[in-house]
Amino acid sequence: MLRPATRPALVATRQVRQCAARFFSSPVSPDTSSSHVHSPSTTPETNPAPPPPNSRSSTSSSKGKKPLTAEQRAFLSSALRVNQAGELAATLIYTGQTPPLVTRDPSLRPLMKHMYDQEAAHLRTFNDLIYRHRVRPTALYPLWSVMATGLGWGTAMLGKEAAMACTEAVETEIGGHYNAQIRKLLEMVSEWEAEGYEVGAEFRHLINTLRRIRDEELEHLDHAVEHDAQKAEPHWLLTGVIRAGCRGAIWVSERV
Amino acid sequence: MMRPSSISLRRPARQILFSSVSTIRAAAPVPTTATHRSLSTSTSTGSGCPCANGSRRPQVKQTQELQQQQQQRQQRQHRNAYHSYDHPSSSAAFTPVEESILSAAYQHVPSHGFTPSALAAGARDAGYLDISPTILPEGAFALIRYHLVKQREELAPRVSELFGGEGHVGARPGLSEWEIRGRVEAVTWERLSANAQVIGRWQEALAIMAQPSYVPPSLKELALLSDEILFLAGDSSVDPSWYTKRASLSTIYAAAELFMTNDHSPEFMDTRAFLNRRLREVNEVGGVFRNLREWVGFTATAGVNVLRSKGVRI
Repeated sequence: MLRPATRPALVATRQVRQCAARFFSSPVSPDTSSSHVHSPSTTPETNPAPPPPNSRSSTSSSKGKKPLTAEQRAFLSSALRVNQAGELAATLIYTGQTPPLVTRDPSLRPLMKHMYDQEAAHLRTFNDLIYRHRVRPTALYPLWSVMATGLGWGTAMLGKEAAMACTEAVETEIGGHYNAQIRKLLEMVSEWEAEGYEVGAEFRHLINTLRRIRDEELEHLDHAVEHDAQKAEPHWLLTGVIRAGCRGAIWVSERV
Repeated sequence: MMRPSSISLRRPARQILFSSVSTIRAAAPVPTTATHRSLSTSTSTGSGCPCANGSRRPQVKQTQELQQQQQQRQQRQHRNAYHSYDHPSSSAAFTPVEESILSAAYQHVPSHGFTPSALAAGARDAGYLDISPTILPEGAFALIRYHLVKQREELAPRVSELFGGEGHVGARPGLSEWEIRGRVEAVTWERLSANAQVIGRWQEALAIMAQPSYVPPSLKELALLSDEILFLAGDSSVDPSWYTKRASLSTIYAAAELFMTNDHSPEFMDTRAFLNRRLREVNEVGGVFRNLREWVGFTATAGVNVLRSKGVRI
């Protein structure tokens, strides 16, 4: 179903996938093993060698769960905030794109509906997480709403190719962004495991949720490339501008 | 009567203590006696010298650790940061020594008010020297902050009792807006009732909180409180109304608190009526905005759809 991987977007997809595969396969990322701090007093026999990955739940019951540090909480807050803002924007982009696109090409209706439904489910997931973990939502909520609707409607007015190029650009950025978050979370978890602490179900669940959502976003990227995203004129300009905009919005949402 | 040589301080602790009280070292006996005398005249149960008071040794030794803990605490108090259920950060807002002094001093608030003399009496009750409240750089404001923090922290168990032992976190998803309003009122009232025991002294406290250097921490506590109330009430909005709800509730709470200091009705009935009126007003204003937004949205969508039906390609 996919075309040969000579095109840059597919190469990008593949790189993101490989990244993802690496984090799936190795629970302890190499650069964290040196940075963690052993607490000297307890369980000296488990400290020198971190437990093998398959026996993690049985060995780590002695020390309980480690409280989050201020930096970790700040990271988690900004991560959830930016994810909610991103999913809100994605929902509105598809809402804006659907009517003009479907009027021109009714065969796109199921695809647009499928992608919209997935994004709406992601938004619900993050709304719930933000409420449960008491994170402040982004203060620029109205701004992102207007800009995302405008982006979706504007690219759809430029044509199907431009709309798909928009999806391609957005989902590439988002995929990389989710991967960075998952990487950071796995570093936290492996650090805890190396120190002999337990890891709560909350974190395992969060990581699994992020992985699932990341995979669905990358699936949208594939759909966009299959539907002639690369034929947009001028492709480099559209994707470049949208990707830069995404990075800017992510940067701002992490802070405000 | 209280010679410095009788206090067996370890050296670093002594340096820190004395550097923070600056000039006291040169004339140590004089201010201590003076403070002490003024205290023993004001409290009927004043038992003379604190060193004679049950021969408890002054426990000012961990001062260095204290300062570290204070720094950690300041870092920890990160507003609206991720709240973990499996890996909770320790929420202690005060170090153990501060806690023991302040909780003892808190018992003296109804008689002494939120004043340095309440702190000194509390320190003596907790077995410390009368000058040990100097580890609290904010002075009397620390006592006010203690009240605010403690009452905020005690709100969750009391509310859970109020709503029939139901855990507050997403316990019942899909509370209607009407139910949430009622719960917000109940939780806010629960918090206001906790002021009843110190209400005679609360005007003084509000005056101290209004001093410029204490305004930021006071407002921060107010923000944390309104966040706590809305969370406990089960309000799950995560859009811009997150901000407007917290802002309006903070205003209402502050006004009701001020109203309560002059309320002499039985069981503060007037305050509760005041609170209800303010909440109703905010809901009415919010309703107007909501209806307006709905109308604009509906009209815009309808207009776009009419144009589309006419064949305009938008």
